[in-house]
Amino acid sequence: MEIAQAQAVETLRNFIRQRYNVPLDDADFSDDVHLFDYGYIDSFGAVDLIAFVESAFDIKISQSDLVAYPLNTIREIADFALQRRKANGI
Amino acid sequence: MTIDLEQLDADYLAQVRYALAFISEDVVSYDIDAAAKKITIELGPGADEAEVRTRVGEILSRYDQSQFGMKTVVDFEQKRDLPALDAWAGMLERRWATPVGDGHVVLRGPAALLMALVDHKVDSIFAEEFGAELEYFPSTIKSETLHRCNHFTSFPEHMDFVAHLKQDLGVLKHFSDSCRDKGWSPELHDGTMSRSDFAISPSCCYHAYEAMEGWELEKPGRCLTATLHCHRYEGANHKYMSRLRAFTMREVVWVGHPAYIISGRARAEQLIIQWAKDWELSCRFETANDMFFTDDYAVKASFQRQQQGKKELRLDVPSEGRSISCFSSNFHSTTFGKAFGISVAGRPATSGCIAWGYERWVYALLSQFGFRPEEWPAGLRDDYERFVRDRRTTLPARAATPE
Repeated sequence: MEIAQAQAVETLRNFIRQRYNVPLDDADFSDDVHLFDYGYIDSFGAVDLIAFVESAFDIKISQSDLVAYPLNTIREIADFALQRRKANGI
Repeated sequence: MTIDLEQLDADYLAQVRYALAFISEDVVSYDIDAAAKKITIELGPGADEAEVRTRVGEILSRYDQSQFGMKTVVDFEQKRDLPALDAWAGMLERRWATPVGDGHVVLRGPAALLMALVDHKVDSIFAEEFGAELEYFPSTIKSETLHRCNHFTSFPEHMDFVAHLKQDLGVLKHFSDSCRDKGWSPELHDGTMSRSDFAISPSCCYHAYEAMEGWELEKPGRCLTATLHCHRYEGANHKYMSRLRAFTMREVVWVGHPAYIISGRARAEQLIIQWAKDWELSCRFETANDMFFTDDYAVKASFQRQQQGKKELRLDVPSEGRSISCFSSNFHSTTFGKAFGISVAGRPATSGCIAWGYERWVYALLSQFGFRPEEWPAGLRDDYERFVRDRRTTLPARAATPE
């Protein structure tokens, strides 16, 4: 089933807001904010995020993916997940 | 005993070489032969070889990075063809350095002046650029503070804890009498020390965060600078001046909004590269990771490198055939802001710092350029001569007659 980019972004945004306690009035939080530089997610949180992305988008993310692709913002993660789904024929 | 190595990656070997110093007090010495793919370990009398072998196996698997991405990005490289000059021997011969215990050194003469020059450069280039507020820190720090900084879960091996004699008249009298009658010996401390609640600070900036506990900062945040005599126990890794137990660390620290830290750090990296160019240093500025001494080393190191949370300026030491980290640029995200309740604009503050290890600078500079200032690269020589001249004119004249 094809997932639109806007839908993928919204799924990730909602998960991150809820899982990492991001207040609704946080002025810095956006789909393009660097999630790690801005402290929304740390190294331990990243493990949870990867597990969520794999489950929500039915894909696998390897350690080499983390090195090869920029996965620092909601939009970057969404784009990566959709490309990986497309490559897998999903 | 010998143990075979499977991986030969330089980074892997460096981590293993460092960690082997801490595996067991039964290990007298060890050597890694990369060509023969072997570790040779000399054990003390009565050592449990099987136990040591197991522990070496644990270390090798801890630093096995094959399943993790250890990304390296080189931002700047400047290589010079330099002779292999034994700076340590030269400093000893000239009495510019005197070792006063394992990993402890006294510097004097031009070596001391070089260290003061590096400090002066940090002030005039970095502290001024960022309007860093000067702070002074105690050398010792509460162990509780280090725990809150997660230091013990990452670097337990290099801690130097402090303790005093028990507040007990009998203990104090026995200690004093024994020293007078038989002389001091380490055994006199057995069972006579209080519980340790402080440590010698292993890093400069921890005091900065604990001293700001509960602060609500105005955007963008604040910048401060401090110098601290730090301690890191390095076991058999103490070597010349490249890995001291007692050393001097200077830092510039930012605490505040992420954009403020990120832009400050980026500007500082431009400045350090310019400094390396000005002094014609043989060096490399690249991504790095801390020597996390824990089972989750690979996860922490891999994440730190991917996020470029640490970068190092590594100066070549030709006589040792390797480079040493003399400056680092670090991004902590909200780790310390959360640990100490420091906030900016209602969110946990972010922090970052840049740090210099002064003794390493002196050692690397003398290793690269020798002992004659007139033969140093023009930028370094001019800075040094100007600094020495200015220092002479600004130092107060020695009073001829004490009042």
